[in-house]
Amino acid sequence: MSSKRISKELRDIERDPPTSCSAGPVGDDLYHWQASIMGPPDSPYAGGVFFLTIHFPTDYPFKPPKIAFTTKIYHPNINANGNICLDILKDQWSPALTLSKVLLSICSLLTDANPDDPLVPEIANIYKTDRPKYEATAREWTKKYAV
Amino acid sequence: MAINGNTIFLIFVILYIIFSSPGGNGVTSQYEYNQMESMIDQLNNEYGSFQNMSYNTNFRNITGFKLSYNDVRNNPLINATYPLDSKNYDQWYNNDKYLIMPDEVRDMISDNVWNMSADANGKANLFPPIITGSLLGNIKLDTNSKYQKVRMPMANFYDPPRDFSDNFPLPGESYNDAWEDLGEVHNVTFPKGKLTIQLSHIDKVSTSLMSKTKKFYNSQEKEWKLLSVRLDFMDKDEVEKHSVDTLGVYDIKNGRILAMSESGKFHSLFAFPHYLGIGINKSKKESVFEQSKKLINEYWNTSNYIDTLTMGDIGEQYNNAVEKCEFMIFLQLDPWNQYTKDQMKMIDDELKWPLGRPANLSSLPPINVRSGLVYSPDCGVSLTTSNVKGERYELKIRSVRFHLFAGMLLIATQIYLLLRQMQHTNTPSSVNKISYYTFFMINAVDGIIMILYLIFSSVVRELYLSLIISAFMTFILAVVFETRYLVSVYASQVNEQGVGIITLLRGRNTFDDNAAERPVVIPDEASISSSLHGRLSFILIVMTFILISSTSWPRHPRTVFEYTFVFLANSYWIPQVFRNAVKGIPSRRERMRGENARGPRQNKAPLLWKFIIGTTIIRVLPIVYFFTNSSNVFRHHKDKRFVVILCLWLLFQLAVLYSQDILGSRWFLAQNTIPEGYSYYKQVSLALLKEHGDVQESEDVASEQVPEDHHTHMQTSVDCAICMSEVPVNVEELPETHNIDIHSYMVTPCDHIFHSTCLQNWMNYKLQCPVCRAPLPPS
Repeated sequence: MSSKRISKELRDIERDPPTSCSAGPVGDDLYHWQASIMGPPDSPYAGGVFFLTIHFPTDYPFKPPKIAFTTKIYHPNINANGNICLDILKDQWSPALTLSKVLLSICSLLTDANPDDPLVPEIANIYKTDRPKYEATAREWTKKYAV
Repeated sequence: MAINGNTIFLIFVILYIIFSSPGGNGVTSQYEYNQMESMIDQLNNEYGSFQNMSYNTNFRNITGFKLSYNDVRNNPLINATYPLDSKNYDQWYNNDKYLIMPDEVRDMISDNVWNMSADANGKANLFPPIITGSLLGNIKLDTNSKYQKVRMPMANFYDPPRDFSDNFPLPGESYNDAWEDLGEVHNVTFPKGKLTIQLSHIDKVSTSLMSKTKKFYNSQEKEWKLLSVRLDFMDKDEVEKHSVDTLGVYDIKNGRILAMSESGKFHSLFAFPHYLGIGINKSKKESVFEQSKKLINEYWNTSNYIDTLTMGDIGEQYNNAVEKCEFMIFLQLDPWNQYTKDQMKMIDDELKWPLGRPANLSSLPPINVRSGLVYSPDCGVSLTTSNVKGERYELKIRSVRFHLFAGMLLIATQIYLLLRQMQHTNTPSSVNKISYYTFFMINAVDGIIMILYLIFSSVVRELYLSLIISAFMTFILAVVFETRYLVSVYASQVNEQGVGIITLLRGRNTFDDNAAERPVVIPDEASISSSLHGRLSFILIVMTFILISSTSWPRHPRTVFEYTFVFLANSYWIPQVFRNAVKGIPSRRERMRGENARGPRQNKAPLLWKFIIGTTIIRVLPIVYFFTNSSNVFRHHKDKRFVVILCLWLLFQLAVLYSQDILGSRWFLAQNTIPEGYSYYKQVSLALLKEHGDVQESEDVASEQVPEDHHTHMQTSVDCAICMSEVPVNVEELPETHNIDIHSYMVTPCDHIFHSTCLQNWMNYKLQCPVCRAPLPPS
């Protein structure tokens, strides 16, 4: 069942790719994908291209896919290993969600971080107290790692 | 971790607290220092006159013994000052001119209590040398008004300071008629009551306040022993309670015990030699006096009595003096003439270090008090004991250990049954049918048992290991498995909160009316688990406190509480009966039929019968045992009627559960009062499809009002959001779709349509609509 649904999602993404995102399997393995997200223009990540790896569990879509950034990024909800703190990737997962919807959610997370539920408290602290400093560092990292 | 300035500062603070705390004797102020000095002075003084005492000289300045009964009889308001002009201090006879008891009491002691003579064959009696144990029996009031109260003043230095600037205790002494009247505390007013005597030996004493090592002191161990004797007696209803901690002397040769309370107005330690002479042959009086004086001397010197006094002792002596009567306890044990000295030694060794010696401990006779008299000189009360006996402490510990082991077996069985039950209901929809309250009650009882095990493990040193293992097993059962199960039951029922029982009975057809009231986002299990743990432990602590304090309540309220508690704690299947009725589980026959049609997963009974029966038996066995077996370790009273009622009540609960299993869980509700529960399997209307389905074609067709034959080309399917492929649906208005099995798809209460297998699969993870996150009723 999971492979059928994944190939359906692949077909949908190829037919109607979401804006500023792209995704597809790595090699022949349908359960291992790679995706890229363009930094949203109204965020300090603008101009950067961020790569992510995606692993679908065998009981997909009942369990969420495992998604992690491979590009380094300065963000309160994304840590140095690229792990993302996003509720729909954890206990708020629903099988009606698709990969493209999840990627769009990650895009909007880049625009609007959630400093109240941070994965990296130091960045969240700067985000809350010294916004310009956060934006400068994020821009610097984007230039350094994602351009 | 690097040690920085803060850490070093903290270490210094801790060290300062440790080293600056008061020394071993607890003296913290000038006043207390002076109190301590006065007490040491007085005791040294009295010990000096004790050492000069011989079997034919009177007490001199020993607190509590300055007046004799005769002095008080002649002048009830006489002041107890030493020396009294009219008193002869260089003589001693066992009569009320010298004793603090009337001759009548002395005669009762020598004639009725301490009157063991050699047995018929002229052989000397043999008494067990070790008599640790707690003995139970009855007590009867002889008189509380006939005798004069012997005046016993207390030195004023015992009084606590009146204010903070007080540096020196008042000199002189005060009499109890000037103290606060504590009513029946200073009297015994019931005619008959119950008595507990706890005996333990003082074989070793610590030699200073700081050292942990203890030393033997007794050079006459074969003949004399010091005991700690605790006496508790109360009326049958346990309203008036008296409890006295005393020091006792055991005269092994004669099987006599003399125990006397000790307080600021009664320094009884120095009185043992004289009073042990009551009822003793004139020829032996001197040796009895000298031997017991030697025992007291050895105890005094080895324990460094003066140097090991603490402020705690002063406080205790003050409280005992003010709040209690002084008691002198005279007991006569039954001999163990069936054993020889060697056999007795073997029995004691075997009890201490069990190696399997041929001692036949199961037939060991109890420690039996043949006769006893309790006399209070300052309250003028005289009581006699009867039928006081109890088994040796070590035997009791053995039997408790055995009971604990049986308890462990029960717990292990319960863990196994619970695991099987958890396996049986491994999905949210099956767990949803379990009653939260059933497991809550079971869990609360197990939690309380765990806490009690833990508390007792720190109290009863001999049983530490068994109790800790029991506590650990109960912990595994209650905290690890039962709470885990409770969390999943709770999580599966979160979406029912705030929904009335009638709505639940109807299977929540009125779902959308109050959808706004319920949380759409179901909290994850971690947060449920933490809130549940908090709630459970709070209830646990409160219940444990109530339970422990209830043991000291008077008999009547305590019994009522106990019966109510046991009865309620054994009503745990009742919530499940209600849950079954709410969930509308079909009868067994229907379930069997359904099994073939819809696969084995659906509509199984929520609880395994193995679990129901096993749990009931495991939980009722200890209660039956304690209420029917009078020789059980906790000495619980017998009440067969209650056990029968309880068993019938449990059987009734089981019968209802069984009838629900056989006849369907709502058989006792009238059919027309409750509509069917929510069914996911139904025809859908075109309007619903239009609203929720993704069906352009059918919408076109419906709006254009095409001719009948056109219907065959219509697209009447929706996409399943889970597998993203089409779901063929059976539409009311379209006859050509009526051949589609309505069991092949499911319609949620929020009108979303999925393949049956897809939604069933998802419902094993979460009872929440994948599309709109509305809560789902379990199928």
